[in-house]
Amino acid sequence: MKDIFAIARTHVVTALRERVTLFWFLIFPLFLLTLLSLIFGSVTDNEDVQFVISLIAYPQSAADLPFSASAAIEEAFTEMATPDASGRAPLFVLHVPSDGQDLEAFLDAEVTELRRGRRAAVLVLPEDFDRQAMTALSDASSAVAGARLYMSSTNVASETASSIIDQVFAELDRNLLSRMGRFDESQAVRDVTEWVGQAESEVAYIDFALPAIVLMGFFTSGLFGVPGAILFNRDLKVLRRYWVTPLSVSRYLAGFGLGHLSLCALQFVLIVLVGTYGFGASIRFSSPTAIATLILAVVTFMAFGFLITSLVRTANAGMATANILNMPMMFLSGMFFPVANLPAFMKVVILANPVTYLLESLRQSVGAQEGTMMPSPWTYVVPLLWIAFSTLVATRRLRWDVER
Amino acid sequence: MTAFAALLKNEVRVFTRDKMTLFFTLLFPLVFVLLFGVLMGNMGDVDQADFGWVDVSTSDDETLPHVLEDAGLHSVRRFETRPELEAAISDQRTDFGLVWDGANLVFLYNATRLQENYAFQQLAAGITAEFNIRKQDAFPVLELTHIQAGKIESTSWFNLVLPGILAFSILSSGLFAISGHLTHMKERNILDRMLVTPMRPALLLAAIAVVRLVMGFVSTLITLGVGIVVFRMTFTIDWFRYAVFVVCSTLGTMGLGTVIALLVRRPSSASNLANVLAMLMMFLAGIYFPIEFMPPFLRTLSSWMPLTHMANVMRYVTGVIDMSQGRFWITSAVFLGLALVLFPMMGRYAVRPLRR
Repeated sequence: MKDIFAIARTHVVTALRERVTLFWFLIFPLFLLTLLSLIFGSVTDNEDVQFVISLIAYPQSAADLPFSASAAIEEAFTEMATPDASGRAPLFVLHVPSDGQDLEAFLDAEVTELRRGRRAAVLVLPEDFDRQAMTALSDASSAVAGARLYMSSTNVASETASSIIDQVFAELDRNLLSRMGRFDESQAVRDVTEWVGQAESEVAYIDFALPAIVLMGFFTSGLFGVPGAILFNRDLKVLRRYWVTPLSVSRYLAGFGLGHLSLCALQFVLIVLVGTYGFGASIRFSSPTAIATLILAVVTFMAFGFLITSLVRTANAGMATANILNMPMMFLSGMFFPVANLPAFMKVVILANPVTYLLESLRQSVGAQEGTMMPSPWTYVVPLLWIAFSTLVATRRLRWDVER
Repeated sequence: MTAFAALLKNEVRVFTRDKMTLFFTLLFPLVFVLLFGVLMGNMGDVDQADFGWVDVSTSDDETLPHVLEDAGLHSVRRFETRPELEAAISDQRTDFGLVWDGANLVFLYNATRLQENYAFQQLAAGITAEFNIRKQDAFPVLELTHIQAGKIESTSWFNLVLPGILAFSILSSGLFAISGHLTHMKERNILDRMLVTPMRPALLLAAIAVVRLVMGFVSTLITLGVGIVVFRMTFTIDWFRYAVFVVCSTLGTMGLGTVIALLVRRPSSASNLANVLAMLMMFLAGIYFPIEFMPPFLRTLSSWMPLTHMANVMRYVTGVIDMSQGRFWITSAVFLGLALVLFPMMGRYAVRPLRR
């Protein structure tokens, strides 16, 4: 057993001494976890989100009207741009033209700012808006009062701000209708949100992201770590030196596997510690299903690494192949983007990808996912098939020494 | 001039014979475009949503089915019971659903689809508003028309992503081009042999730069072409500014790459360091994830990344976003300046025999 432990120790120490390996094994997953939590965590929690918008209300020639719809809209947005009593930052930062400013010039300037990404939306209440609103209220067959909202679909902040402004308008619309007795607020049907599954509310982003980052760490370790270690050692003739000792390939593999498992365990502990204590993740990986999935993931990705190792001739080719496969396999598994509604031809790739099953299985086992795209046995069968296939190919093709 | 021509010819040969470099320069960006084109093509579009609903009320009012028909959903399926609907939502056969009990509209969401639920909830709010208005035979008074501030090029998230991919491919090929090549030449002692000839180091750098520049330019055109042909994307390309910026930014990032060549000894180390830098910048520069919601300190960090500025200028020259003329020319000049400063300096220090 000593030789196996010695090989395992060598593998761990070598990996930890390599700064690049350290980066991909530990720093990059932690960096990504931090980045995603900071970006999407604040969005889903609605914390610290603020939109810079402009409101341009053209003068209304309707002093005779009983009320002003444009004034109600201006008031609503001004209120939403004012900090509350607790001092919390308001939802909107509102830009309005100053007194006497040329409105057309202001509109042009604000739309330009929107195109340059410095505004989330520009709301325009045209002349005669109040009169149109009044006419629409008194005569259902007349045209509605139209406002314009300039926005940019390529800007996520603009998209989000636009949907919030839509809701504000819908609310104001109902207020106006009820004020005129055309809508009975007490008869209005409420919409209620309920979550399907065991969760009482939407899963926190960190709980959703943490299993993905753990798996990403295992995946990159297998994909880059295995070909890197084996092929560089082979090309640099380090392996050849092992083979002149009594060490057999199977014992070397056992030591290598143990070392790889130890590295993944270290990686797992660090990522989960940061996720739990740094970002407040509440999920636990202690259930038997979660532990089984984690072990299955390490073995699957290690086998996949051996598959690549056996298919290429040099270490550089191995790294290049791993680089080519890395992004597509990660992104086409649902790690970072939803894949449920992709076209059929892409579904084939997704369903052949072992990462998809392991991710679904892990998320489900820690309560961060309800149901899976494929029935439960497949989440284990497909990775096991990959292990069998990879082992078969590697057994037949992998060379343990440089060609003479 | 003869020496430069000979070096240039040599570099063309080396580049075209190296299948790996050819693949990573010309074809690898396509993998990203095809991948993200499919992933992001319909991102946030609720018209792809499959909706399910159950009516457990005793009313035979037809208002709700009509509202759902007009809601712009991809499909609307009626379920017999709530458990059936919940099972479909849980298994993601249905994206979200509704139970109408005659008093409340109970919208059901899968608690774990948090990347999509926001869009579904917006749609649900619209359904409720429309249902209430129609149920009381009222008509909306206010109408809010959305107007795209940009041109047709700026109507989808992927339009923003593709120029970012172009910028990333310029950055990564620029960083790798000089660092990988020079360290490779050093490792194989090719550089030592060339340095005993009267060749000027700057000429060698210039020859490498010219070949990689042309190939990088071709690569951006292929990537852009695939986006336009395969995903039917629309761009209004300002070819003059496009060419100016691709040249300036490629040379500038090559200048940064020569710094890497100075710092490391082995090609694999150069490639690793360049890979790490490129990857960090890719995530911080808002290529795939929006930076609008990043905390202020990350946005500040992002603004210091060359890739952030490269991506913004590429979006500008393809007509996706607007930018002031001054900002465009200053950004281009900064990248060109980087090349002008770093190339001669690094020619002196990086084009040297391997330290032993």
